[in-house]
Amino acid sequence: MSSGAFARFKEDSSFLRFYLWKYRRGVGAGVASLLMVDLLELLPPILLMHAVDTVIQKKPAVHLLYCALAYLGIASVQALGRYGWRMYLIRSSMLAGRDLRQEYASHLFQLSSSFFDRRKIGDLMSVATSDVEAIRMAMGNGLLTFADAFFYLITVPIAMLWLSPKLTLIAMIPLPLIPWFVARNEQKIHQRFRKVQDSFSHLSALAQENLNGIRVVKAFAQEDKQLSRFRKAGENFIRLNMNLARVQTSFGPMLDFFMSLGLVLLLWVGGDSVITGAVSLGTFVAFQRYIQKMVWPMTAIGMAINFYQRSVVGSERLKEILAVKSDTPESTSAIGPRKIQGKIEFRNLSFRFPGTSSDVLKGVNLVIEAGQRISMIGEIGSGKSALLSLIPRLYPVQDGMLFIDDIDINHWPLEELRKQVGYVSQEVFLFSETVCENVAYGLHQWRSSVDSLDPIEGAAKLAQVHHDVQGLSAGYQTRLSERGVNLSGGQKQRLTIARAVAKNPAILVLDDALSSVDVQTEEQILQSLRSRSGRNTEIISAHRISTVRDADKIIVFDAGQVRQQGTHDELIMDRRGAYQVFLEQQQLSEDLEQLGDAYLAQGGNP
Amino acid sequence: MSQPNPDFDVDSYLDKEEGQGKFHRRTLRRLVGYVLANRYLLAAGIFLILVATAATLLEPRLFGYAIDEALIPQRPLLLKQLVGLFLIIELTRLASVLLHSYLFEKLGQNVMQRLRIELFAHLQCLPVSIFDKHPVGRLVTRVTNDVSNLAEMFSAGFVTIIGNVLVVVGILTWLLILDWELGLIACSVFPFLMLASAYFSKQLRVAYREARSKLSALNAFLAENILGMRVVHLFNRQRLHIQRFKQINDWYANAQIGSVRVFAYFQPAITWSSGVAVALVIWFGGQWTTNGSIKPGVLVAFFSYVLTLFQPLREIADKWNIFLSGMTSAERIFSILDWTPEHQARDSENPVKRPEGIQGHIVFDKVWFAYSGENWVLKDFSLEIKPGMKIGVVGHTGAGKTTLISLLLRFYSPQKGTITLDGRDLKDYSLRELRSIYGMIQQDVFLFSGSIWDNATLWRELGGSLEADLKSVLGSTGLSDLKVELEERGSNLSMGTRQTLAFARAMAANPPVWILDEATANIDSGTEKRLEKIFDHSAEAKTTIMIAHRLSTVRSADLILVLHKGTLVEKGTHTQLLKQDGFYARLYRFQSASLKRERKPATAAAPELAR
Repeated sequence: MSSGAFARFKEDSSFLRFYLWKYRRGVGAGVASLLMVDLLELLPPILLMHAVDTVIQKKPAVHLLYCALAYLGIASVQALGRYGWRMYLIRSSMLAGRDLRQEYASHLFQLSSSFFDRRKIGDLMSVATSDVEAIRMAMGNGLLTFADAFFYLITVPIAMLWLSPKLTLIAMIPLPLIPWFVARNEQKIHQRFRKVQDSFSHLSALAQENLNGIRVVKAFAQEDKQLSRFRKAGENFIRLNMNLARVQTSFGPMLDFFMSLGLVLLLWVGGDSVITGAVSLGTFVAFQRYIQKMVWPMTAIGMAINFYQRSVVGSERLKEILAVKSDTPESTSAIGPRKIQGKIEFRNLSFRFPGTSSDVLKGVNLVIEAGQRISMIGEIGSGKSALLSLIPRLYPVQDGMLFIDDIDINHWPLEELRKQVGYVSQEVFLFSETVCENVAYGLHQWRSSVDSLDPIEGAAKLAQVHHDVQGLSAGYQTRLSERGVNLSGGQKQRLTIARAVAKNPAILVLDDALSSVDVQTEEQILQSLRSRSGRNTEIISAHRISTVRDADKIIVFDAGQVRQQGTHDELIMDRRGAYQVFLEQQQLSEDLEQLGDAYLAQGGNP
Repeated sequence: MSQPNPDFDVDSYLDKEEGQGKFHRRTLRRLVGYVLANRYLLAAGIFLILVATAATLLEPRLFGYAIDEALIPQRPLLLKQLVGLFLIIELTRLASVLLHSYLFEKLGQNVMQRLRIELFAHLQCLPVSIFDKHPVGRLVTRVTNDVSNLAEMFSAGFVTIIGNVLVVVGILTWLLILDWELGLIACSVFPFLMLASAYFSKQLRVAYREARSKLSALNAFLAENILGMRVVHLFNRQRLHIQRFKQINDWYANAQIGSVRVFAYFQPAITWSSGVAVALVIWFGGQWTTNGSIKPGVLVAFFSYVLTLFQPLREIADKWNIFLSGMTSAERIFSILDWTPEHQARDSENPVKRPEGIQGHIVFDKVWFAYSGENWVLKDFSLEIKPGMKIGVVGHTGAGKTTLISLLLRFYSPQKGTITLDGRDLKDYSLRELRSIYGMIQQDVFLFSGSIWDNATLWRELGGSLEADLKSVLGSTGLSDLKVELEERGSNLSMGTRQTLAFARAMAANPPVWILDEATANIDSGTEKRLEKIFDHSAEAKTTIMIAHRLSTVRSADLILVLHKGTLVEKGTHTQLLKQDGFYARLYRFQSASLKRERKPATAAAPELAR
């Protein structure tokens, strides 16, 4: 039983112990300073005792001088010690917090895409901040309060016993009340705190859902009903808070009061002893000080426990994430760096997104020869995006095989593979840095302060975004984080294409990456991609007939499978085929667009 | 292979809008307004703090008095009386501390509830465009975390600061009264200490601000990187980003340590000052007591007072941070409260009354509208919908169909032209009056937490035949218990059930004008037939606007409008439009052809799905 509790303690406090050990010098120096301060803290009451007794017994004034100087000396050393423990202990805890955050962030960067699909960004962020902070606080302020209280609880009674055993016993009578009171209320506080927390999340959820559904609320003019729901939840929250406050706010004052009872007893019994002469007035005064010193450790123990408990919760959440392994680990059979030729083969490949239950790819068999230019078409949800995201191995290939240049993708070194695969998805993401840093992102050796802009401009020209960038206030040095830098969706999309071609990949995958680009620009981009030097295999998923038809091979994807493949001329032979339907739909859509525009050109009114 | 990039500029992750950490007098004044709304609580609380402070101050004096009058002259009876008195003082102190902590907690909670409700009510009244711009998550944080921060400032920060200031002032006065000479000597370090506190608190504020802004840079960096993790992976830049995170992280840790350093200087300064003060009291007070000019008890009381004097200063310094973060939260909250609402905030407190006798006569007269700048979504759009008419609206994505509805609901207002309902300009209706006129059914029904019934009625009390009708409609979906809480916000409900719910929600409003926005796009034909029947019954002879891309839905409409890029290109009945053999006719022929060809009608949607 107790060994189990110990094992749990070991488990719960593993981060704490690790960092306490790592920063043992700082922690040691801090605790030593603290110990010194606390030990010296025992002396002032004795000095006061001497001063009072000197005065009462009318000894020469030079004794007072000794007392005063000694007091000043003690205060000075204590001042140093107080500086010391903060600088050593708290500083160490902050360094430990930094290390933990670093460990956590470094770990995040190693995890695969599927992990981030399933986690809320808010949760991941709060681990980096509040959970790490909780562990840090336990190590800094938590350890500090605990050590402080611990020393006091041991040393102060010893000093008191040394002065007068009888008065010590008397003054300590209320002491047992404290653990009893603490134990009784700790439990209550814990339970009520839980309820407050739950009620708080309910309130947050209510606000969140209301704001998400604000259009519905407004459309039905139901603001008052929403408000009254929220008000009710708010009132409940307040009620629970006050329930908690009733116990919580009584904590400090009650402990304080128990100590005051000690003072009352001191005045009574101690006063009697002074009258009868059993105890000197100085001793009486020293006792008064000592009893007042006992208040702090009583409160502090509770605080220290609280620090520790929070750190346990933080540790659990942190450990849970640190334990997650990437599902696209580095390959084991290392083949050396080699140039990708560009042949891609899917062999009986099925795939489901990690953590989901239905297959989005169902036994795909497909060969793409090196150097081919492929067009992929398929509706949203057909699985083509999933298929394309496997080529840079964003997700693990488990069921079936995927070969790049006849080598199993799981055997390719991940870094080597991704270096030579340029993949652009429909989702546009740019960093809050300058335009040129964003485009140069894949050029690991490129430094904006040293190297020439040529490769960047070249890529931007390929992606037809060079002129747009030149139109920005600071050109390629424009920061994308700044307010007022309003790039259109199309411009951003072209920047992501520039970023991908800048690293000159052997395989280029554009998954719906031209969706926000207008027809003419799209045409130009495709033209310049064709003339790209070092180009190899290209896979472009798109909708416009003009984009699709000239490909070496067109793949029609539907319901997780390849429905049709071939050149445009081959595919239109099947007059009832999926490609034909696509063509008709797309033709109609483009015709209607023109028809509509023609109407508008005529002056609009039917 | 990847060294840290010397060009990396961490500054780009600093939030330039983040408050500068100094709080404005205006914010404080506004907060005082909320506190004064609870003036009785406040007055009682402050009175009790005064009582508690007085009791705290009495304690050392009582000990001193006991020494001088009972212990030294050896009067046991007086000692017993003093013990009794002491117990009473302590009990009084306990009672007043317990009560004032409770009262201030209550005060904090009251202020919090009022602010929260105001904020929530205000958010209800903001124009929808605000929600396009501000992420919901951040707004929720204002309503919850920021308000809680503020409450903590009241219940913890405020009380400590008031209480401790009172104790300091009380002690200083009391020392001078007890013995003004010794008092002056004991207090001689105090001006020095005040200067030091002022200096350190300024330093501390700077250091905290520094740490806070670096923390938000760290958060911004991490959030951005988590969002863009795929890109990091695709370009093999993990090491670079770990390196950059290390830069920001170190930077933040250094700022944190900077604030520790300020504290590390401040605390010893207090310790040392109190040491000087006590030493002075020992030296001078001791001599004066020996020569009899002051009594021993007074000397002992002086020791206690001087030692107590420095504790509050430490506590004030400790709570300063709570105070600062509370003020920052207050500023954020007030800045939201300052956003202009689309109508008076007070409106939302009262249930709305719909104007009587709405006919549903809607006229768009030369309406121009753009969401931003000159990107016109509607261009010179005119249309008359007569009472009781059923209108179908078709067109491409981006043709302006949904915009029509947004304008009718006045989520947005047109830049040029007017829209009237029953001859009255929409602007002349109160917003909530206006919106209560429509019953709207959307393609994707937004579900609130609560039961099916709550979601259908939106927590309104119905009654009579309407309630019975609603129950039978909802019952037809096979849901037996309408009052059971939805699990996971209804994610387990079938499309058909969700859409039935959307119809029921509109029915519950019993509207004079119906709006169907792609209402039957996602459901099977069986459910569609059933819903059509319900709809025909409920919306009989009522003005109805139907938006659809499945043309079969609008076939029976009295008038069909074809929109293209914000302009009306064709209008007429189904037969007329087919005869015209234009836009509509082509679209219709294509859709019926593909309907025949495809196995599943759902995937044979309009061409716009392919784009």
